[in-house]
Amino acid sequence: VFPGVRQAQWLTKTKLVEGLPPAVQGILDNPVHGLQELEERAKYAVSHARLWDTAEVAPRREQYCPLLFENLIHTCRLMSGKYPSLSKRMLARNFRIAATWERESILLQVRGLSGILMNSMTPIPPVASKEEILATKEHVLETFYPIAPTIDLQEVNVYKELNDTGQCFRDGYPYSHPHTLFFLESANVRTDRFRPEQLRAKMLMFAFGNALAKAKALHGNDPKVLEQPVVVQSVGTDGQLFQFMVFQLNTTDLVSNDGVKNLVWIDSDQNLYEKAQCVPEVKKKVVTKPAGISGFQPDTFKKFLALYLHGTV
Amino acid sequence: MAALGARRLLRPGRRWFSETVPGAPSPPASPLYPPVVASITAKSRSAKSRRLQRFNQRVHAAATVEEKLRLYGKLQRPKYTVYPQTFALNADRWYRSFTKTVLVPGMPPRAAAAKPPVAAAEATLEAGRAPEPGAEAVGAAEAPEAAKSPEPAAGAAPHLDIGELRSLACDALLQESFYQNKKRPFLYRDQDHTPGPFLTQLVSTLAASLSSRNPLLAASSLDLNPEVNYYWHHGEEVVVHGHRKGRVDPVRFQIDDNPHLQIRVPKQLPKVVPLESDLGDVPVIDHKPSKLPLFKKQYENKVFIGSKVADPCCYGHTQFHLLPDKLKRERFIRERLEDQIEVVYRSNGIASLFAWTAAQAMYQGFWSEADVTRPFVSQAVVTDGKYFAFFCYQLNTLALTAETIKNSSRKNICWGTDSKPLYDVVEDGNVKGFNDEVLLQLVRFLLNRPKEL
Repeated sequence: VFPGVRQAQWLTKTKLVEGLPPAVQGILDNPVHGLQELEERAKYAVSHARLWDTAEVAPRREQYCPLLFENLIHTCRLMSGKYPSLSKRMLARNFRIAATWERESILLQVRGLSGILMNSMTPIPPVASKEEILATKEHVLETFYPIAPTIDLQEVNVYKELNDTGQCFRDGYPYSHPHTLFFLESANVRTDRFRPEQLRAKMLMFAFGNALAKAKALHGNDPKVLEQPVVVQSVGTDGQLFQFMVFQLNTTDLVSNDGVKNLVWIDSDQNLYEKAQCVPEVKKKVVTKPAGISGFQPDTFKKFLALYLHGTV
Repeated sequence: MAALGARRLLRPGRRWFSETVPGAPSPPASPLYPPVVASITAKSRSAKSRRLQRFNQRVHAAATVEEKLRLYGKLQRPKYTVYPQTFALNADRWYRSFTKTVLVPGMPPRAAAAKPPVAAAEATLEAGRAPEPGAEAVGAAEAPEAAKSPEPAAGAAPHLDIGELRSLACDALLQESFYQNKKRPFLYRDQDHTPGPFLTQLVSTLAASLSSRNPLLAASSLDLNPEVNYYWHHGEEVVVHGHRKGRVDPVRFQIDDNPHLQIRVPKQLPKVVPLESDLGDVPVIDHKPSKLPLFKKQYENKVFIGSKVADPCCYGHTQFHLLPDKLKRERFIRERLEDQIEVVYRSNGIASLFAWTAAQAMYQGFWSEADVTRPFVSQAVVTDGKYFAFFCYQLNTLALTAETIKNSSRKNICWGTDSKPLYDVVEDGNVKGFNDEVLLQLVRFLLNRPKEL
């Protein structure tokens, strides 16, 4: 009912920046990484997922959305032939997250199955400079007076304040830094899927939850401004539209409304392709639309790959 | 007959009563009457064979492969469903007889190109085993010492860092079985809980890290839970009951397989032995297939390799099969059927690989009347999470129907190993008893590529 991201921003004390951060943009623009050649592979990944995978005429979204994701990840993973440190990543599926925090005397909690998480052995270096972080002090969070910011959130009696990703992974896990979260909206029926705005809000909440849990694991439970900000990325898709997000947790002091804020960079509504025609459309015996993928945008795939490579190159 | 008489009278230049040498009657350029052939619609053996010939010509003349496949599987009749993962006793002998396959124990001799990196790896193996294998779990701290031992003059190929690969494998295993907190496995779904995700992680990370060495892997497509189907005829039987009782029909089979993971590539793997080699005998079983037990069902005749014909990655590289809970080793041991454990792996390997290679051959336009002109090779790994068995299959012939099998002396060949454990046990974040042989064989499988690459 509400533009979800604005509400999520207030709840997580975050400032929004449009577009991707300069570090990721740098990876995109750098020709060394050979992103051009991978365009062919990306187009193949899309065609395979949308057109060729099933013996029926056209695959359904529940089938092609996860398959597209797997194909794109496979293409990205093949880069570890070039950058061996990319193999220090591990994908965890069906992963549960739990994080709790207080926000102006309201206790909030994020819990649940957050999709697929990619962990890495090394953390992502902070993407915003110290000046930018301090500049967020002046930023005023948007409030929704008179609507309470916790509208549409489920009120639950919480008996145990669960607090870590350590809940999901045991101690000594070598791939301990959450790197990227992936959300696949693959329900067949449109009403079961999140709208893009709601998907972005969900991505923000879960990225925040993961980052907070990691920060509390690293630096303890006391609310404070972090010396080493924790960066978690997030990618959400419904098989065609992609949302990219980079979240940087600068502070765990979330009770008050002033002070240093967290930062999030969002690149929203990136189309990977316009249309995937499984069977050629024929009107009056003339082929109007040939079978295949039309309107392929390689930039979206390049952003996906740049987020994947971020932190290692 | 009256017509013939009329023709004789009408022939020019011929006189019954004169001595004139008749001018050689020019033979008619084309016969005046159509050839005398069997009917199409009669209920006779010659009519049946004529109908079959017309069908074969239609399939031969089909313009595209999709049209060929559609005509090939158009007629639906009851057929035996062959399950690659089966508890039937001695199923691998039956499957070999259905698919005309020779089983050769052990792995085929590898080309020399693969030897140098492996030799260096074996040199590092001895050095790597000296630190106790149990401490391999976290990080690759011990491995670099093993990996840095200099390779014997092996030419340009950089040597295989077996320690690195071992740590990747151990990390995948530990993540799935130890580090990630999961809920309890669903009843009888133990395989989906730990071994399934472990296999997925292992193969995807190994394939990614070996892609620099094998350019074929860099162009490959990894399918998760694909579908592989194949339909064929083999042998003849008499229809037992129904309105078609008494007619001689081919015995139809269909394999519908769901491997856990599959790698498809755009270029074919090289052949292992020449097309006409004979490495053994195909078992002959005199019983009806239903005695295996095998049951008949009538449904769509599908031929599918995992993706449609339009896909450029139309050749198969490696399949990975996960045995379900129903076929776990403890169950066989409890029922005192220890010798059937290996049969399960073998029957899975033979049936799945036959279906895959034959479907690949059909995607290239070959079928039982147009036999393959080059051998199709694919590999498979069958595992239950701990024990791994490796198979390599070479398809030499598709001619398995009753008419074509008489003329063809080629046999399909399957090389297979016994199942060996990859590790002994996982305890407290450590993998104990890691077996490098198995990992090495897996790596060799993934590195297999045509000679030009």
